[in-house]
Amino acid sequence: MTRKVRLLVAALCALVSAPAIAVVIMHIPAFGRHPLPYGDAINHLAGAQRHVTNMVSAVNFDYRAFDTLGEELMLVAAVTGTLVLLRGRRGESLSDRAAQAGNRPVCERSEAVTLACRFFLPLITTFGIYVILHAQLTPGGGFQGGAIVASGTLLIYLGESYRLWRRLVRSRVLDMLEAAGALVLVLCGLGPMARGGAFLQNVLPLGQTGALLSGGLILVENAAVALAVTAGFILLLLEFLEETRATCEGKDP
Amino acid sequence: MIAPATDVLAPLPVAVPLLVGALLLLVGKVLPGRVPDALAIVAALAVVAIDARLAAHTTRGPLVYWMGHWQPHGEVTLGIGLVIDEAEAILAAFMALLFAASFIFAWGYFEDIRAFFHVLMLIFLAAMQGFCLTHDLFNLFVWFEVMSVTAFALTAYRLEADPLEGALNFTVTNTIGSFLILGGIALAYSLAGLLDFGALARSLAQHADDPVAVGAFCMIAAGLLIKGAAIPFHFWLADAHAVAPSPVSVIFSGAMVPLALFGLGKVYWDVFETVPPVQLLMRTLILGLGVTTAIVGGVACLRQRHLKRLLAFSTISHGGILLIGLALPGPVSLAGVLAYFIGHGLVKGALFMVAGILLATAGGIDELWLRGRGRASWPAGVAMAVAGLLLGGAPLGLMDSGSRLIGAAAAMRGEDWILIAVVLGTACTGGAVLRGAGRIFLGLGEIAGEEARGPSEVESEKPDRPLWLMMLPVTVLLLIAIGAGLFHADETILGAAARFLAWDRIASIEPVGPATAAAVPASSHPFVPWLTLGLAIFIAAHELGHAWLPRSWSRASRRVLSGPVFTAIDRTHDGAVGDYVVWILIGLALFSVSSAAALHAG
Amino acid sequence: MSFVPWATVAWLFAVGIYGVITSRHYVHLIGCLTVIQSATYITLLSVGYRFGSVAPIFHSRPPSTPAVDPVLQALVLTDIVVGATVTALLLALTLQVHKKRGTVNPERLRPMRQ
Repeated sequence: MTRKVRLLVAALCALVSAPAIAVVIMHIPAFGRHPLPYGDAINHLAGAQRHVTNMVSAVNFDYRAFDTLGEELMLVAAVTGTLVLLRGRRGESLSDRAAQAGNRPVCERSEAVTLACRFFLPLITTFGIYVILHAQLTPGGGFQGGAIVASGTLLIYLGESYRLWRRLVRSRVLDMLEAAGALVLVLCGLGPMARGGAFLQNVLPLGQTGALLSGGLILVENAAVALAVTAGFILLLLEFLEETRATCEGKDP
Repeated sequence: MIAPATDVLAPLPVAVPLLVGALLLLVGKVLPGRVPDALAIVAALAVVAIDARLAAHTTRGPLVYWMGHWQPHGEVTLGIGLVIDEAEAILAAFMALLFAASFIFAWGYFEDIRAFFHVLMLIFLAAMQGFCLTHDLFNLFVWFEVMSVTAFALTAYRLEADPLEGALNFTVTNTIGSFLILGGIALAYSLAGLLDFGALARSLAQHADDPVAVGAFCMIAAGLLIKGAAIPFHFWLADAHAVAPSPVSVIFSGAMVPLALFGLGKVYWDVFETVPPVQLLMRTLILGLGVTTAIVGGVACLRQRHLKRLLAFSTISHGGILLIGLALPGPVSLAGVLAYFIGHGLVKGALFMVAGILLATAGGIDELWLRGRGRASWPAGVAMAVAGLLLGGAPLGLMDSGSRLIGAAAAMRGEDWILIAVVLGTACTGGAVLRGAGRIFLGLGEIAGEEARGPSEVESEKPDRPLWLMMLPVTVLLLIAIGAGLFHADETILGAAARFLAWDRIASIEPVGPATAAAVPASSHPFVPWLTLGLAIFIAAHELGHAWLPRSWSRASRRVLSGPVFTAIDRTHDGAVGDYVVWILIGLALFSVSSAAALHAG
Repeated sequence: MSFVPWATVAWLFAVGIYGVITSRHYVHLIGCLTVIQSATYITLLSVGYRFGSVAPIFHSRPPSTPAVDPVLQALVLTDIVVGATVTALLLALTLQVHKKRGTVNPERLRPMRQ
């Protein structure tokens, strides 16, 4: 179909579906004023049952931890798929050396940029680790904190040089960290079964509400997720950045 | 009651592949040679054993397992539950078996990237197990997403250009499908406030005429039908499956696409059956889509010369027949769906392996280019012919049980006309495969000027695996497909189906009592399998025997086959992702109109 | 005014689909998929919202304070992870297609040209 035909057909479909969509919108329970039994139950129970104050983390790492397991493995699968796509072309043996920039001019980084990056990198990393560690207390968790830390490492590339980025960020180590994160999460599920509990049952001591070490298994799962997310995202950044370089074989992108 | 020892097995079909996959990811690089292959095969076989044991132990009651030991708190289900029925356990066992066969077939296939293929496939296996066994709506979505992401990654595994474009089409269309499912879940949650199937069903029964419930079903159904490649959502399948590596295509056509359709059935029976307009939609819209898919898929199948694309369209057509079975109520049609699911998966898996053998030994996949070149690997030809006969409706084996049961269910409701679609779809796909077998392995069916229309890219896969190793899983799959009928499969499956329908919805929130199985129905039209088979052989013979037909006949048939309908079918499958998305919109509009009508009628 | 969130969702979906249908560059198409994703986030969060409530964090508040639904927020978190991973995969696919075919125009990228 040509562009015009597509738009015409799409407009027709929108027209035909509009009454049904309008009816559904009119009958959706009133925004902000309808009962939320599941949410209320968790809000009232989780604090007493698991000694945590962040209900979202309680849902993610305890009540619905099975979802998180699937989500984590999906992240691992996606990162693996991206690695196959990007590394497979270049060959894995090259992945520990920094490739050249081809015939693209290499800019000198200005001192202001370098200074700003050096200033912010420890701040961002600390903040990211703070978010990870306080998963069960305040908003945050493994996913959020992991993303922060991973993005923070980009400042190494931005402020210093590509060579230093490659020297500090080692893909072999990251591969292992990501796999370790996934493995620990699966073991968090199987471990309680060895003690006679259910899969992913929170059998560790729960600690005191509001303390850094509270929540039992939630802490371990959170750490596993943080590890896998950080490593996974840094791997993605690594591979995509490597794509901007020319390789020994093949043409420039 | 279920013995406590079996309780422990419930989360293992998901946990074991994930564990082995994570281990392989960690140490895969240092493991020597074929150890990852062996580990993967062992893991898949372990899952088969676990599922088989679960199936054996759930004949007297379903196994309800709450993850994290979160029992329901009054009316509110706090955690995620698994409800394992005999039917679901059987399906899960079959899928794991298909994975094991695929791993054996892929032995030595992927050399360079360390164990990544096995990691992705094991996560894929775990996701399918989770999808099959879960009893929570969002958890179903999560495993659906994991299946999708691993499928996207596996499709692009061969790094030539064509797989990448096929993977792009696949990814974009299926991602839109997941968004639709998510929207549907949000709508269902807004009404019910809970996510467990049983709790949702109970809540939706009180909102029986609410348009939001119908809207939720439509969105979830549309998303699942995109993955299940029903018309008009099927366009991505031919592109993606045809270009994925053969071991991966085995899983796609054998398990992933039928599982998405079964997922639609699961969501319907476990959640939405209590909503009358949705019941009406299933009997009319879904049935209609199934009939259309069976016929159009079959016809399009005949037009293909790329062998894997031909098989992909055949999957679409058989998926339509599955959809017909799902749309008919009652345990007989569900039993038919289960038998057809397994039978089709076995046969289609074997066929994709044959295609892989041809790619490895003869170095091509275009049917016309391969004419006569398959003689060296004649065992594959025998397998292909047998598979073609089974696909074409031969009256033995699981596929025949399945279509017989679905036909009986249709006849019991007086809707015998449905059988026409089943006959047409089956005959066309069987005929196409038989034609391919005859052409490739016997050298029949020469078409003048075929070299001029050669394939755009000559394809091949790793050529140095021994033929017997590749034929081993093919033989096993076909033997199971034929031989399962000898072991009272019909009664077992009927019993499983009756128990599933009686128990699965309420098992997480209420205790269940005994369920009576339906009797094996007598075949309503015993001549149907022979009619289908005869039609399939006729189609194959007609296409292969062009040289011996009178001139006028072949010219007339050629003019019919280049008529407007057939060229339209060819032209719509043009590979542009924008077109595919427009067809999804057309499908959504169809759903909107039908649900408005269903609400009005109720 | 309670239909505003749903109207926003419908609008975002429409804009995203329009972009996907008419796209001439795959990176733009991936961006449009992200827009459709935002529609799903808003749907989920709107279903879980409650007027006069706080976030479900009781670090400095008594646990009986009315709060919004934490389950849906956890679902959105999962959704975001899904979106990020699929986007990464799609971008990697696009990169490779560009290297092999020299174009990223969806109209010119058709598998199985026969």
